[in-house]
Amino acid sequence: MRVLILGCSRIGTGLAHRLALDGHTVTVIEPSMAGLAHLPSSFTGRKLLGQVLDRRILQEAAIEQQDALAAVTPSDDTNVVAARLARLVFHVPRVVARLYSPGAAEIYQRLGIQTVCTTTWGINRIAELLSYSELEPVVSLGSNVDMLDMRLPQLLVGRPVSTLTRPGELQVVAISRDGKTFLPHTETRFEADDLLHLVVVGGAIDQLLALLRQ
Amino acid sequence: MQIMIVGGGEVGSYLADLLLQQGHQIVIIELREGAISALQRAAPRARCIHGNGTDPSLLERAGVRSVDLVAAVTGVDETNLVITSLARLVFNVPRAVARINNPHHSWMFIPEMGVDMALNQADVLAHLVAQDLA
Repeated sequence: MRVLILGCSRIGTGLAHRLALDGHTVTVIEPSMAGLAHLPSSFTGRKLLGQVLDRRILQEAAIEQQDALAAVTPSDDTNVVAARLARLVFHVPRVVARLYSPGAAEIYQRLGIQTVCTTTWGINRIAELLSYSELEPVVSLGSNVDMLDMRLPQLLVGRPVSTLTRPGELQVVAISRDGKTFLPHTETRFEADDLLHLVVVGGAIDQLLALLRQ
Repeated sequence: MQIMIVGGGEVGSYLADLLLQQGHQIVIIELREGAISALQRAAPRARCIHGNGTDPSLLERAGVRSVDLVAAVTGVDETNLVITSLARLVFNVPRAVARINNPHHSWMFIPEMGVDMALNQADVLAHLVAQDLA
């Protein structure tokens, strides 16, 4: 995949390095020499010094031939504008903008811009880690949905999976039992020592804990 | 007409004053708290709001849904484009005009970014000078 990264801050540097290591063809545009210097010497991608919204630089970076673009400069406005223009003017198929300011993601989605708000993500993540240490998240599926593993509490033995189902909030997606993992249906009954694989929305964690304490 | 001006620096306050004289109702949004009092002196009949004009919830509180026109005249081109995009495409404002600060950025001021009309001061001035020399 050919990827263009706008901005070489911590996220831009890390992203460029990682994608290049994964074998992608990476081009980075960054307005400062100091920014470009963040890239490790082993970085194999292309480095361009210039303003990220300068049309000539974007064309020099072959923006029209890119498969994806990440707008990760320190300015939310620059990222939003760059992402939208990449889609509209240069027809880049996959575009993501990083935002600091929380709250506007939904609105930008309506403008056709996929956003990642590192602030919101960090807040949710830290709050979750602080508030439900009893449950270990295995995978985070975005900023507020987690997959977690939980050994079946004794009091739920013999109860159906529907006991632990809250539509849109909490779902048992798989159960590991006797060395095998299977996908249950709502009537499947829990057995002692089941390892449950759950998907939970951040806000439903409290409900889950309340259920477990009953 | 009801007009919202985002950016209350020299351009914004001059524009507000001019439009007030023509009998329009003006609301101005300005990010720098220190600039608000100067703004109120320059355009005393305008409603001045301190805040970030790219914040959708602030725009709503300032009444963006009921204005006839939004003028994005901050000193940052990207900010002006976020404002016109939000105004025209999210809040359905009938018309949006924008200020271009850096003439190299003029390519971005297109209708798909919510811009009905863009004014490029540097470009106008450069062309006038070039014409004068010709």
